[in-house]
Amino acid sequence: MSTQSISTASAGAFSVSGLMIVVASELAGAAFLREFLLAEDWRYVVALLAAFGVALVVMQSVPAIERRIENAFAAQRRAATIVAVLLVFAFPFALGGNTYALHLCVIAQLYAVLALALNFQLGSANIPNFATGASYGIGAYASALLALNFGVSFWLALPAAAIVATLSGFLLGLPSMRTRDSYLALVTIAFGVVVHQLLNNLEFTGGPNGLVGIPVPELFGHSFASPLVIFGVQLPSQANFYYLSAVLVAISILFAGRLHNSRVGLAWNALRADDLAARCQGINTTWYKVLAFAVDAFLAGFAGTIYAFYVGYISPDNFTFLVSVTIMTMVIAGGMDNILGVIVGAFLLTLLPEKLRAFSDYRILFFGVTVIAFLMIRPQGIFPQRLRRYGGH
Amino acid sequence: MADLLLQQLLNWIVLGSIYALIAVGFSLLFGVLNIIHFSHGDVSFVAPFVALGAVQVMVASLPVAATPGILLLCILLALLLTGILGVVLEVLVIRRFRNAPAMMALVATVALGIVLRELIRHLYPNGSNPHPFPRFVSGEIAIGGVNVSLFAVVAVVCSVAAVVGLFALLNHTRLGLHIRAVSQDRDAARLMSISPTRIFRATFFVASAIGAVGAVFFAGYANLIRFDFSIDVGLIGFSAAVLGGLGSMAGAIVGSLLIAGLDTFVQAVVPNGASYRLVFVFLLVIAVLVFKPAGLFGRTVVEKV
Repeated sequence: MSTQSISTASAGAFSVSGLMIVVASELAGAAFLREFLLAEDWRYVVALLAAFGVALVVMQSVPAIERRIENAFAAQRRAATIVAVLLVFAFPFALGGNTYALHLCVIAQLYAVLALALNFQLGSANIPNFATGASYGIGAYASALLALNFGVSFWLALPAAAIVATLSGFLLGLPSMRTRDSYLALVTIAFGVVVHQLLNNLEFTGGPNGLVGIPVPELFGHSFASPLVIFGVQLPSQANFYYLSAVLVAISILFAGRLHNSRVGLAWNALRADDLAARCQGINTTWYKVLAFAVDAFLAGFAGTIYAFYVGYISPDNFTFLVSVTIMTMVIAGGMDNILGVIVGAFLLTLLPEKLRAFSDYRILFFGVTVIAFLMIRPQGIFPQRLRRYGGH
Repeated sequence: MADLLLQQLLNWIVLGSIYALIAVGFSLLFGVLNIIHFSHGDVSFVAPFVALGAVQVMVASLPVAATPGILLLCILLALLLTGILGVVLEVLVIRRFRNAPAMMALVATVALGIVLRELIRHLYPNGSNPHPFPRFVSGEIAIGGVNVSLFAVVAVVCSVAAVVGLFALLNHTRLGLHIRAVSQDRDAARLMSISPTRIFRATFFVASAIGAVGAVFFAGYANLIRFDFSIDVGLIGFSAAVLGGLGSMAGAIVGSLLIAGLDTFVQAVVPNGASYRLVFVFLLVIAVLVFKPAGLFGRTVVEKV
């Protein structure tokens, strides 16, 4: 009896401090992102990056801290989710009407969706795919063409484009079934190049000039081009798309979590561990591989549609091989099969080139060097794969 | 008509030999290292810039004119330096990914390719713009009563010589024996007192230098060089190597000839073919890999349980 009361007392103390850890780390993350977005001076940007690096090194050298935070999040999942949703909701208010920072947030969130999409393949099942950029492009073009030629509204174009992208994902998945490793990588590269070249040369996609004048979406009579007023505070028009893409990220996270804990996610992990052993256990490897391609393309199609309607202008150069490589890097650098890691990777690699404008011409060079340095210094990614947890806690 | 046909045939063979010089490097490196060195094309395309820069420096500082002889000398220098560049990249970067998952090495070398291209763009004077690249032989020669450009003939002869040289190196020298030993079984080779590290460096030197020959001829063929030429040509060289079956030299050559053949054919026959050539080439790649998943000459790996 007495031991039980002691244990409940310590559990109570644990949950209070656990809650504090959760709130503090989420606040710190949001504050860091805000500072990073608003930083003008490149020295400040470098200092922030250095701080981030130091935090990573500390986490790596003292695993107890990492485990403590991880346990706190695992114990306080509901509170963590509520705080995170509130923070995401409040974030645009903290940017003080800086439209550029808000724009970067939208793009980073779209890339987070793309990286999560690729994570199903690369992270869960270890299937390389250099064509996520192509699926993104197919989604964007499909919805833009529907809107421009048939006057389809954004809300209808969104699922339609996702369906078109998913079909193309199946199309890519079919020839990929027979090939593996580098050969599979080449099939996806080839698919990406073919899609890019077709977009660049066909009449109805507008050729190299792309498509212009994609109409702005509306919701209940509120045009997404007009400023958003919440609680009497006027936010710039980008805030509309900020919330829209935040919802998409949330859906993707939910989707990723549900899939990860389902039989499908387990089958993908089995594929990653050993293809042959998985087949011997009665897993239809072909079907799960094709499914991974389709799921990747499905989410990429959504991201593409939002991008097309947000920017209002798309051209083949938005969907090159380099875009696919960038998404691959986000997943690998962030941490394969780790949802938080992939999102952090996406934000970091989207914001980094933008924040390095001080180096203007040398941005791409710097980007390449950073990627190589990352892969050499922390090959397992910022947040490495976690073991599956079973049982309640 | 016969004229035109012969001209196209020659175009095909020239392009095929140039692609083959790049593709054998991919295949050789994969055979020995078991990783894809995606920036191989970008390493190779450093050579034309080095050659061009060397010519300009020489003409500016020495009392010589840009004669074909000087150009040839500079090209040889470029081949040497490109080979060394390959070794340097191996030591600095690629070595660290030897035991990493294959995709990590692939992404790292893609990034390395970006770095190389951007370095050329920034370090070479006026690097963003195309530069005219001279051919060190000009004029025409009559073959079977048809005049063809001498450069094309020289390109084909040199490429064949380079590939024959590579085969001789691999099959008839001590170094070649060691390279083959390491590619077959790294640990067994080590037991035979062969240092894999040294063999890796030697392979990088050979592959980069041969790729450099291809790049220089490509620049001569196009009469032009630009920092981003290596994207397309590198990708095509990689595709040719995969099409033939990674690790197989003969496969790389057959793959290159196939791709160059389709490339030339599409440009000559299909209306507006020049803009659709990559579509056809990569559809061919997908089609071949569907039916031959390990390439044309690749060993099909059968896992036994």
